[in-house]
Amino acid sequence: MSEEAVHNGHGSTNPVEVMNDLLEKGSGQKPLFWRITALLGLLTVAGIVGFAIRLTSDGLGDTPKWGYHMALFALILTAVQGAPMVAIAPRIAKAHWRRSISRAAELFGLVGVVSFLIYIPLIWVLPSMTDGRRTLWFYGELNVPAYMPQIMATLVLVSLVVTGLSLLWVSARPDFAFLRDRSQGRRRKWYGRLAHGWIGSSQQWYWQKHRLGILGAFYFMMLVTVHFNVSVDFGMALVPGWIDALYPVTHAHSSLQAGVAITLVAMYVFYKWGPYKEYINFDQFWGLGKLLFALSLLWFWFWFSSFIIFWYGAKPSEEAILDLLMVGPYLPIFFVVFFLVFFIPLWAMIWNPLRRSVWGPVTIAISVLIATALDRIRVYVGAFSVSQHENKHQLDSIPDAVLPGLPDVLIWIGGIAACVLVYMLAARFIPPINIWEQKELKLYQVHKKFHRTEVQILGKPD
Amino acid sequence: MADAKWGMVIDVDKCTGCQACVVACQSENNVPINTEDIFNQRRAIEWIRVERYWEGEFPDVKARFIPVLCQHCDDAPCEPVCPVFATYHNNEGMNVQIYNRCIGTRFCANNCPYHVRYFNFWEPEWPDTLTHQLNPDVTVRSRGIMEKCTFCVQRIRRTSREADRDGREIEDGARELSPACVNSCPTSALVWGDFNNKNSKVSNLAEKEMSHNGSHHGRGYKMMENLGTSPNVIYLKKIDKHAKETVAHE
Amino acid sequence: MQEHVQLTQKQINEDLLTSVLGTPRWWWPALGFFVLVFLIGMSAFGYMLNQGVGVTGLNRPVFWGAFMVNFVFFIGISHAGIMISAILRLTQAEWRRPITRAAEVLTVFSLMSALMAAPLVHVGRPWRADLWVFPYDFARGVWINIRSPFVWDPSAVMTYLTASTLFVLIALIPDLAIIRDRSTGLKRKLYAGMALGFRGTPRQWKLQTIAGILLSALVLPVFVSVHSIVSWDFAVQIGPEAWHSTIFAPYFIIGAIHSGVSAVATLMVVMVWAWGWNKYITPDHLDAIARLLIIVATAWFFFFFLEWVFALYTLEPAEMAMRKLQVFESPWSWLFVVFLFTAYFIPVPMWLFRGVRRSLFWMFVTTILVNVGMWLERFLIIVPGLMRRSEFIFDWGSYHPSIIELAMVAMTFAWVGMGMLVFTKVFPLIPLFDIKEGMVGRDEIRIGRRIVPASIRE
Repeated sequence: MSEEAVHNGHGSTNPVEVMNDLLEKGSGQKPLFWRITALLGLLTVAGIVGFAIRLTSDGLGDTPKWGYHMALFALILTAVQGAPMVAIAPRIAKAHWRRSISRAAELFGLVGVVSFLIYIPLIWVLPSMTDGRRTLWFYGELNVPAYMPQIMATLVLVSLVVTGLSLLWVSARPDFAFLRDRSQGRRRKWYGRLAHGWIGSSQQWYWQKHRLGILGAFYFMMLVTVHFNVSVDFGMALVPGWIDALYPVTHAHSSLQAGVAITLVAMYVFYKWGPYKEYINFDQFWGLGKLLFALSLLWFWFWFSSFIIFWYGAKPSEEAILDLLMVGPYLPIFFVVFFLVFFIPLWAMIWNPLRRSVWGPVTIAISVLIATALDRIRVYVGAFSVSQHENKHQLDSIPDAVLPGLPDVLIWIGGIAACVLVYMLAARFIPPINIWEQKELKLYQVHKKFHRTEVQILGKPD
Repeated sequence: MADAKWGMVIDVDKCTGCQACVVACQSENNVPINTEDIFNQRRAIEWIRVERYWEGEFPDVKARFIPVLCQHCDDAPCEPVCPVFATYHNNEGMNVQIYNRCIGTRFCANNCPYHVRYFNFWEPEWPDTLTHQLNPDVTVRSRGIMEKCTFCVQRIRRTSREADRDGREIEDGARELSPACVNSCPTSALVWGDFNNKNSKVSNLAEKEMSHNGSHHGRGYKMMENLGTSPNVIYLKKIDKHAKETVAHE
Repeated sequence: MQEHVQLTQKQINEDLLTSVLGTPRWWWPALGFFVLVFLIGMSAFGYMLNQGVGVTGLNRPVFWGAFMVNFVFFIGISHAGIMISAILRLTQAEWRRPITRAAEVLTVFSLMSALMAAPLVHVGRPWRADLWVFPYDFARGVWINIRSPFVWDPSAVMTYLTASTLFVLIALIPDLAIIRDRSTGLKRKLYAGMALGFRGTPRQWKLQTIAGILLSALVLPVFVSVHSIVSWDFAVQIGPEAWHSTIFAPYFIIGAIHSGVSAVATLMVVMVWAWGWNKYITPDHLDAIARLLIIVATAWFFFFFLEWVFALYTLEPAEMAMRKLQVFESPWSWLFVVFLFTAYFIPVPMWLFRGVRRSLFWMFVTTILVNVGMWLERFLIIVPGLMRRSEFIFDWGSYHPSIIELAMVAMTFAWVGMGMLVFTKVFPLIPLFDIKEGMVGRDEIRIGRRIVPASIRE
């Protein structure tokens, strides 16, 4: 890798110094922080107002009107819930560069609660299977309830959110113990509860590693399942003739991509405006940037794999789907998505000066996030705007593009503000840089002389 | 006849399943003889075939027939998949096969939803007594290549050449122009002609029997329309007062 | 816990050049066997050229059979090389070192086998297939049809073959220089020529490393495209209902990695058994590859599941008929059960046990099973898919390969065996320089009472 890699993390080689430094940084006074929080709170309230307007003026039965709400849920599910994977995957692969990122990524597990709150009204918005649409659930063939999609999606979404929270808690437990030992009064009591008797025994560490591994694997499986349920039952099944076996995977893949992007943005915020400059450096942006690049290339592959089948097959049912989702009313959006999510990352990231910078990958990450938002609008607003199903095998007429109304704009602003708000508060009370993983890194890091040069030796335990 | 768009209308109601078209096609186009052995190997070649379905339970049983030949689709699925352009669309609306170019990947046969492309698994053989009945206008295909219905393109070519030479017009539905199967059909269930000629029999039938924007429902339909292949063969469905009203699978 | 055996450079040279400098007693009989099978297959091919494709079991509904299965299978196996070499090199996995070359060579020979299976013996007129693979007919303006997946296929496969051959050759250069220094006469001249004047100067090493990394990165898109294109041979079609699925490309790729990595694991075991390289290919390596296989196999199974879910989701009669055929009608039903168990339900639960992962014998058995299963998987996609239980298809026939066909199938397998055996006689199968590099870069860190294996950060 690069020469900068030698200066990984805090300059000190003493684990305890690193811990003290990190704990100190977490406890400063920040008036600006609270001002931003208040503003975000106001925006969240605006979102709730928007939701109330939508609810009272249109009711839950009018599916096409809820397209933007659905798209917002899908966006938050995609970007926010994908982020913990950025902690999980490199941890399983034992990559050391993840150590400064993992907590920032796991904190998004808490934001998952917001996505669940936004999801709740959709349970009533999604029509029951009695409208004769194609479903996964063999409705009419087997004896399943007409609200099976809602039941399953809710179940898996709740499991995902709970897994995300558990992952965050398990991973932060040693850090809570540090905080417990260094604080007084009410804080001590609360951190004591959260640390749940952590004393750092070998036994506890042993189980810690295993729990993180198992929860990580389970989180990934739940993530894939949620994307499967949501993309099929809330998207594909609403459009007659849309049979795309790859789409659930594409959907989950964008979640990983947007997860990396949103983590990059969060890291940049910590790097630029937080006190953690020594812990976040080139290594992290380099690692995440490479991941983002690879995932952007994969995006093209997934998209093309689906597209070529429809385009080459050219059955009327398939052409209608291409019309609805790509070349029809949402063509401008699709074009921008394609540009932002694939074209820009591809051509920017093969350009070395940009790839080896800090701002470069972050710019690409923002481009990817905007693209993900637009992509979710394209798919779900499009799918929700199809209102007649009635045993159809293909879409007869392409509905016009649905433009957002004032409530939609408010809901979007409020939803995104709520996510940022929850994340900021979480980062205030849970150390956003993983203290114990930083300490561990210091143990595995040794500098040695090798012939005429000095090299860094990194331990990789099994 | 570059401005023509050849096509066929098949009235299933008139078809008796006599197989005259099949025999006529075999002899006109030098189609190899399908022996019992070859049938058992499932390698028989019939450019037009009459498919038979039984409907109902004994004794109240009915035989249904439907002649199936190459549909000469406007958007033929067999065409894009051929790596060597052995099959392509000519400017008379026909899907044609160039035997010399074919290398026998059998890709086109797999992608044909109508299953009307035939592969020469063996070198075709005729008994000595029959070699003199081979049509000199038609290539005898060797082993390893695909073949299929050509709408008797050799007849179109010869007739139009002769008409050009003699300076005469060819009538719609002239026997010298029509494919062998059409000429041999005793009940005139097969009608063949030029869809670009608005006064031809096929155009009139299409106008009368096909539905136009759902306003008018005749007996006409195209096979497997849901695939979007736009065939140039129109079927007219059977008139059966006793038939049960069934919803066909789209 | 990885064992930490430090070997001297001299010993590495001696151990790993045994296959080149000496000839084990089993080598000639083994080669003879493969040559015999290959010749039998070639004779069968000659007979088919003379008689026509009729000598196979192919028939009117089932136009593609065992040859196409073999084509897909060998393209699948060929994904091992790049998976191991490029991806593990880019992710700096240490355990890749002893198996990179074996995997790359397997890639090269299985690609040749694939080409042998599909354009060569598959087509009706092989003597004309050159028109398609090497378009020559410029004069008459006859150009190949670039809309056909059968044109994408040779382009992708040939690119992949070229890239993998380069991969092998570049990684061979330092080792060839070693052999050059240890041989005399004509042999020395030959190796000197192939070593391209490699003397081990820093500049040469740097260029060699850069070339390796560059090729790794550039070959990845080819890696992905090859099997995607192979899957599109099937998936773009609208004739056979069951093939027209968007998931085919990723499903085929992950299946290819599953079977390819398994084949490499088989090869590792065979290498230990044949030449006794157990100091280089240790249980740790088998352990690592088996862990990788658990993940790959499970991902593959997920795609398999999705493919099925969406087949049932369509509720199209033709699709449902095909699925019923696959699962409920003999012989497909029991082949299906064999496929499921060999490809997933026997090996993966077994790999969960550390004892199995570290045992030569059990790894051999399980990885062979995977490839039996993966061959059947392709068979079960292609043949029942073509049987076309749909309306207006009067020929609801079946298919079973003929003896002649099976001889040609065996020929493609023999080609790989033959190629690998000859390769090991001429070149070392374990890269010497890569092993040495690993030995140099390896270190240990002492943390309290524990010793953790470590490596120098590049």
